[in-house]
Amino acid sequence: MIVFIIILIFFTPFSIYSPGENRNRGVVTAIGIDRLQDEYEVSLLTFIPTANQSYQEKTSVISGKGESVADAIYNAQIAMGRKIGLSHAKTTVVNESLLEEDVASTVDYLSRVASLPENTVFVCTNNSAKKVLEQSHDLVDDLGLKLEQIIGYNANNIYITDTSLEAFYKGYYSYVKSSIIGYLTIEDDGNETEEISEISGSQKTNEGQSEGTQGSANTSSQGGGSQNEHIVNQGQAVLLKSGRKVALLDIDQLNGINLLNPKSVNQIITIDGVEKDGQTFTMQYRIKTKKTLTTTKFENGYPIYMAQLILGVELVEINGKHDALRVNTEFSEITPEIEEKIEQKIKEQFTASLKILRDCDSDVIGVGRKFFKDNRREFVKFMDTIGGQSQAEKFINYVTFKLNIVVQPD
Amino acid sequence: MKQISIRQCGVIIVMCIFANKILLMPSLMYERTSADSIFVMLLLFLLDFVMLPIFIKLKSIYPDKKFYDILKERLGTFVTKVIYLLLLAFFFFKCLLVFSITYVYFKQQIYQDEFIFLALIAFLPVINCAVFNGLRAFSRTIEMFFWIVITGFVVCLAISLFTPISVPLFFMSSAKDFLYSMHNHIFAFGDFIFLFLVMDRIDFKKGSIKRLYCYALSGIFLVTLLFYLFYAKYQMTAFMHNNALADLLVFSVQFNAIGRLDIIAMLTIMFITLFQMEIFSFAFCDCFINIFPLNKTFAVVVFDILFCLLYYVFIGRYETMVMSSLFWLPYLAIFINYILPILMLVLIFIKTRRDKLEKKD
Amino acid sequence: MGKFNVKNKVEEVKKTLNESVDFSYRYFKRESQVIGFIFLKSIIDPQLFSSAIYFPIQSSDGELTIDLLKNDLIKCVDIKEVKEKDLVKEILDGRVILITNFSGKILSIDLLKFPTRAPTEPPTSPVIQGPREGFVEDMQTNVTLLRRRLKTPNLVMDVVRIGSQTQTKVVVTYLKDIANKKIVKEVKDKLSKIKVDGVLDSYNILFYLEKRPSSLFKQIGNTEKPDIVVSKMLEGKVAIIVDNSPIVLTVPFIFIEDLQNSNDYYTNHHYSSFVRVIRLLGLLIALIAPGFYLALQLFHYNILPLNFLITIADTTQGLPFTPFLEILFIFLLFQVLYEVSLRLPSYLGLATSVVGALILGDTGVKAGLISPPGVIIVALSKIALYTIPEEAPQITVLQLVFIVLGGSLGLIGVVSGLVYIINYLNDFDSYQTPYLAPYSPRVTQDLKDAIFIDPIYSQRYRPQSFSPQKKERV
Repeated sequence: MIVFIIILIFFTPFSIYSPGENRNRGVVTAIGIDRLQDEYEVSLLTFIPTANQSYQEKTSVISGKGESVADAIYNAQIAMGRKIGLSHAKTTVVNESLLEEDVASTVDYLSRVASLPENTVFVCTNNSAKKVLEQSHDLVDDLGLKLEQIIGYNANNIYITDTSLEAFYKGYYSYVKSSIIGYLTIEDDGNETEEISEISGSQKTNEGQSEGTQGSANTSSQGGGSQNEHIVNQGQAVLLKSGRKVALLDIDQLNGINLLNPKSVNQIITIDGVEKDGQTFTMQYRIKTKKTLTTTKFENGYPIYMAQLILGVELVEINGKHDALRVNTEFSEITPEIEEKIEQKIKEQFTASLKILRDCDSDVIGVGRKFFKDNRREFVKFMDTIGGQSQAEKFINYVTFKLNIVVQPD
Repeated sequence: MKQISIRQCGVIIVMCIFANKILLMPSLMYERTSADSIFVMLLLFLLDFVMLPIFIKLKSIYPDKKFYDILKERLGTFVTKVIYLLLLAFFFFKCLLVFSITYVYFKQQIYQDEFIFLALIAFLPVINCAVFNGLRAFSRTIEMFFWIVITGFVVCLAISLFTPISVPLFFMSSAKDFLYSMHNHIFAFGDFIFLFLVMDRIDFKKGSIKRLYCYALSGIFLVTLLFYLFYAKYQMTAFMHNNALADLLVFSVQFNAIGRLDIIAMLTIMFITLFQMEIFSFAFCDCFINIFPLNKTFAVVVFDILFCLLYYVFIGRYETMVMSSLFWLPYLAIFINYILPILMLVLIFIKTRRDKLEKKD
Repeated sequence: MGKFNVKNKVEEVKKTLNESVDFSYRYFKRESQVIGFIFLKSIIDPQLFSSAIYFPIQSSDGELTIDLLKNDLIKCVDIKEVKEKDLVKEILDGRVILITNFSGKILSIDLLKFPTRAPTEPPTSPVIQGPREGFVEDMQTNVTLLRRRLKTPNLVMDVVRIGSQTQTKVVVTYLKDIANKKIVKEVKDKLSKIKVDGVLDSYNILFYLEKRPSSLFKQIGNTEKPDIVVSKMLEGKVAIIVDNSPIVLTVPFIFIEDLQNSNDYYTNHHYSSFVRVIRLLGLLIALIAPGFYLALQLFHYNILPLNFLITIADTTQGLPFTPFLEILFIFLLFQVLYEVSLRLPSYLGLATSVVGALILGDTGVKAGLISPPGVIIVALSKIALYTIPEEAPQITVLQLVFIVLGGSLGLIGVVSGLVYIINYLNDFDSYQTPYLAPYSPRVTQDLKDAIFIDPIYSQRYRPQSFSPQKKERV
């Protein structure tokens, strides 16, 4: 006991002099990774506490370049003059060009940094990641939105999957080696804004020297970048196969992929040429509820995926001659014609998405897994006929889908 | 002297069951046997469970006799001392392993830099004090915190249900992998052996057996649930997550928005680690006192020195520690977990036979 | 038996008592019979003396005998015969000594009276509902207060005198059919071993009764309210009343007692349970909040949610002190203010609180010397401390310990400290009672009146932790 107290007393001076972690760390809230020719540029949206300022004013994008991501982060740290704290990083943005190669090798460093939470959002962008981080200021200023909120919405409502580093790895290490991550675009709105002047303070600092590696770092203050560019959230996503981008999916394609997912609702289905009392309407329905029942079986040795979908739809818009809308309620009745058209539309959407998945050998909807789980023996037998377990990712190409769609008014 | 009640005995058993299994083991096991690791674990638990009836039988034959004295009476001083030496090593390495796994977890999560000194200063005095105060005091402490710890544990498991989970794929690994995995992780088991060491100090009453089984089974149930949820949540990436209990909380976007909920896991793990270290270091000192004719202070000092030396100078590196727990420590564990109970069984058999013969005569 | 020379005897006693200023005597003569009264006029009731002793004797006829005096003439309740050697002791106890030249017997008559206060509500434990009487300095009153509540022949009151100079009466009281005999014996043994010149208050003997006198933790219960003492005696505890002290000690003491308050028993039990949970929470906050905050600031910034981190970082930026010194500074500031407000008269106390809280706190923050979160955390812990005022001294010291632990070792320091303290408390069983019962070890029966309290009708059994002789409350 006495020894303990003595040691503690010896330790106390250290704590007396310690200024605390929060005073000598820059808290990173988002990470952006870009590829510049033969080196990486890592940008860090960093919060550096300074007394009596608001949140926006204190965040700045600090970037560093280096041969590897680790090297670039090290250089960014030198530029910042503080230790980097990654534990509050909520977003990781990578440039699209990085997806041409295996992106897992790029973000490998991030997966090894234990302090970085695995649930950090992982998205890619068509522009430079640095710009996305810089533009995220405007997002906060203009809309009161944070980057992760936009992506969070997409993840919950559009992709119906987390677009996190963890979710990426989950797909990457699965037998189909495929995953979906979010996609943000930066677009020029074409209007020159005259009143906002360029306030980017791109100031070059000296290269951070680290053993044998040449790196450079620059710091730009908040509000950098031209003001007429905006982050545009179109709900797109990138389909990755073995860490490489194989397709860019738009909302319709994502809806198709998510057809069998009961959580994916609220999609709008437009059907043309509905005839009623001799008139033609274009009608839009929203899927409000979705129940799915799926079974798998092998027939004559071939896999068949059967799904029954019970969709509760709601009429949301009618584009036609409005004078015909005498009594609205009669339109909420779903006629066999409407049902057929909705069914057809959904099937088309699904077929189109399935084609993409088949082309890319990317079974992100887990069809193979379901067969493996429910009909393991036949599955293994089947796999032997097509060339063994190594061909598991191609399995989706052999599956016949049988959809039975029931449309009901909600 | 009867020092601990059966409830206290039960909570000690639950703490032992948690030892070395709730952080690193699920992810280590996954590499070889994927989700089938749950069966590996359950089988190992089942083998462990054999020890419990043996203990109960032994306790009924020798209600107030020390384990050391029983062995000495039957096997002679030398063999007993050798067995105790092995037990001493067994508990020492268990303690070391618990500490190193937790240390790495904290280093990764909350202490940004090396903090080995801090960790040793924080942990060693507490466990030394526990040894000095004796079995009664620290078992009461564990009893007091037991429900807090269990609540923390269950909350961790419950929160993980808020994120999407899917049933893991079972029966993916071969029998060879299965056996290999069993062998590798055997050192983390053998928790009931502690009961033998303190058998003379347990207040055993009627109905105690049932309660003891209850505690042991609920501990095993919780660990199994943890394994299941962990694999259901991470599946393919399970090998990337080294801190099972804490990682159950991390990957959840909704909760991250209100701050880090894994502080619940952190506190739970801190308490559990402290208690486990208290139990193992007590066992070490108990064995030490029996082997060498020295007092408690000496045992504690030896423990501290050995602990610091082995951790800091010789092993120091976490990977070495974990690897040795997988490769050469299992041999020690096989002796403690299986050969020793069989030996006990033989002793019980001989004793009952002799008693019967004496009765006949 | 020899007869006394009254005058000589009076002179002798007068000398023994150093011709004290309050020493008094009276003679009564009838023919050859002389009666002497010796007493200390400061501690007897003079009116009662004349009306109940002197006047009846004076108005009597015939020859006086000692039996006549004792049985008929003297109208006092407490008359006893004493030995010559006890004479001085009896006088010092506020009795009138009657000696005669016609009998060898000495009579001692109780006429003790000195200024006492009425049993008012004690300031340390006020109640909203429930009895408001409190103990006073006069032991007789205190005994009366107990006796009034315990009309049972089983009530035992054993007197011990402690203090070579003060000869203070110490009463060990318990219910002989309930209290554990071992505990009673242990208390008596410990009291009999006390060798000291004076006992002025019950705190003077408190340390002699403790198992670990050097320990920080409270091991003996104390209260100023007779209803509390009686309820404790009914649980099987032993009470120790010390003359001239309004504080009555009770043993054995367990930690949970401080969590209980007499109010709890006079209100709805659901509410009482809630309040007890709040008290426990308050205790926990008081104990670890500053240490925990410091640990977060110094070691674990990453545990904090981002928004909170920003607030803390904002306010602590540019402070001249390091976090550790800041917390220590605020802690000491509060302690100084507390001490000042405690010692000063109430009108000044208010002024210092205003100066302390408003001027020092607010200006300190504005001047950039201390940060608002720091002030809030320390203030919170200081206020929370008084959810259990009985434990305040111990917790204050422990707060400092936890500040050092949190500041030096971080979160694991705080947790280790907590486990260490609980381990330590679990080690001492004073008077065969586990200190942290009924939680560690768990005594299921006693959980009915622990943190959660069951309605009184369901508490059929006495707490088992004190191992009472009679387990059931009937």
